[in-house]
Amino acid sequence: MTVAPPDGPGVLGRLRGDGAARPPVDPGLAGGLRDWLEDGLAEAVTHVPAEAGPIRVNKETLNQVLVCEAHLAACREAPRVVSVELARGSLVDALFRQWVTVGGFDDPWGDALAAVEVDGDRDGVVAFVTGLPAPRRRELAGEVAEHAAGIAGRWPALSPSWMARTQERLEFPLCGGRVVLAGVVDLIVGGPARGSASVCVVELKSGGRRVEHRGDLHLYALLETLRSGAPPFRIATYYSATGELDVEPVGDDALVGAVQRVLAGAVRLCRLAAGAEPARTPNPLCAWCAGLPRCAPGQARAGTAVPRRGRDEPVRVGAGVRRPDVALVRGPEAS
Amino acid sequence: MNGAVGPAPDAGQRSQANDAGRGGQGSLAVPRSLMLADALVEPPGADLGADELVHLRDDLARELHAVVGDLPAGERLHMDAFKMRVARRHPERCMDADDTFTPTPRHCRRSVGTAAVRLCVRGLAPGPAAAVADVLAAGVADVSDASGEDAVRPQWWAGWYAGLPRGAQAVVRAEAIAWATQLFTALDWGRFPRLPVIGGRDDWWQSPGGRQLVLQGRADVRVLSGRRLALLVMQTGRCPSDWRMELGYPGLVAALVRDVTAAPCRVVGVWPDSGQVRVLPLDLGALRHVATAVVSAVATWVDSRIEVRHLAEVRSSA
Repeated sequence: MTVAPPDGPGVLGRLRGDGAARPPVDPGLAGGLRDWLEDGLAEAVTHVPAEAGPIRVNKETLNQVLVCEAHLAACREAPRVVSVELARGSLVDALFRQWVTVGGFDDPWGDALAAVEVDGDRDGVVAFVTGLPAPRRRELAGEVAEHAAGIAGRWPALSPSWMARTQERLEFPLCGGRVVLAGVVDLIVGGPARGSASVCVVELKSGGRRVEHRGDLHLYALLETLRSGAPPFRIATYYSATGELDVEPVGDDALVGAVQRVLAGAVRLCRLAAGAEPARTPNPLCAWCAGLPRCAPGQARAGTAVPRRGRDEPVRVGAGVRRPDVALVRGPEAS
Repeated sequence: MNGAVGPAPDAGQRSQANDAGRGGQGSLAVPRSLMLADALVEPPGADLGADELVHLRDDLARELHAVVGDLPAGERLHMDAFKMRVARRHPERCMDADDTFTPTPRHCRRSVGTAAVRLCVRGLAPGPAAAVADVLAAGVADVSDASGEDAVRPQWWAGWYAGLPRGAQAVVRAEAIAWATQLFTALDWGRFPRLPVIGGRDDWWQSPGGRQLVLQGRADVRVLSGRRLALLVMQTGRCPSDWRMELGYPGLVAALVRDVTAAPCRVVGVWPDSGQVRVLPLDLGALRHVATAVVSAVATWVDSRIEVRHLAEVRSSA
């Protein structure tokens, strides 16, 4: 892993922007987006039985259902398995939170494990890494330390006036709470809007770049707009493995695209909750799907009935070899 | 983009049954902090009659006395907002309730966060992050001081926090910062003619005629609205369908422990995660409605205690 040296303005400069005036808040925007979502879902929710409970639309369910409904169903049925990638992600997330909050580390590995443990460790990450063979655990500790060094080298202390907060939960109910948009944002900076957009949303990724990351950010921009009444002025993804920071201003296109994507996914989620058979859509991720052994179209696409185990393994697409994190998943924003 | 976006809204297609979903009550207004502060200090509506509150208190005490009389000997019941919620939404869980308290970062965040917001509002800290750091450092210092003498009584979380490794302490701090920032930015503090009470002591009402039951009510901010109180309660997640109970319970307990002239006139609820706001005026009807729910919740807990005691006796005799 190599953390690229700073290129151009530093992290703060890029998050803050070039000093151009921030866009004024349109007081009708959030209500308009909400109405659009509710209108688009009104028909679909009527078919969902009341006892089904609220339909949660988050980045995972949205990505899964838009790739393939059968993939979503398989993910729900399969037991959640902790992988090295998931463990690394949880540990690096914890360290990023610590860096933003405290501004330093004692021992990145020990700090991250303590953070995950005190926070409830819902995924069983601590037990997983404790059970790894010693050489693999040392290797993972080394990777985590490199991510930590990258964060420490690139992220300066944030001014108190930025009001940085981490792991903030966003939830927005639609259709009387029968559909709930939800997310947890790694970092939000900026106080509430008082006339112009004032918030910047940052998502940390410890793995490789993937097409869906942009859609995840747009979902968060939409959620922040709906709950606060004002859109963020910027959204960013920080890749801790390479030090890259993708920053994007939030314009109408991003929010409109997010609404369309949420509607496309949420309508499918409603359909599934109403008991419809999941549609099967062969795609480049079929080779990794837990439902592959029971999916003929997926097997035809993947050329096997045995799912691959790790997403770091290369996947053969056509004549070339690509990794799934640059896979050809066309979200609605790209279609 | 101006006003509504996307396809023209069609009122005929739009869901009408959206109590919690529509922002409602101005929750989409920007800046919301002005609207919330104004909602708190707005003059109270019609005063409660002195007799009305006395009658309510007497009726509630009488009904609770009848219910609590069935509580197994030697047991006490401490009702708070959490127990109210469990009895209302998941009565089956009352049997399995364990009163053992284990601190977590989410448990601590309100206690640390309100102390931090007090520092911010008084101008003693530049922002929530610095204020939280000060509060936590003071808590750790109190733990060290308390070990030498009894004069200093540390906050309940301080000893636990002081013993955590640094990575875990960072999580506690981060949770408290997020909580404090949400409360600090929820209100325009300059709108209040007098400094509100932030956090402060919980209200405790012991049912007359028996020491077996105590009701605990908690508000995050108390503001004077005329001569009466207005409460602000900050909640997590999204506004539930039974939000009137969520807001009414602390309002009722606050009314029970105060003279009628100081009884709260309203409770404002804010759910920062979802941006929702609700205002519950506390007239006699609302208070009686909540009081009925309290009796019902207490009965649920008493029944579960009886059942637990019965099962224990059956096991021990088997």
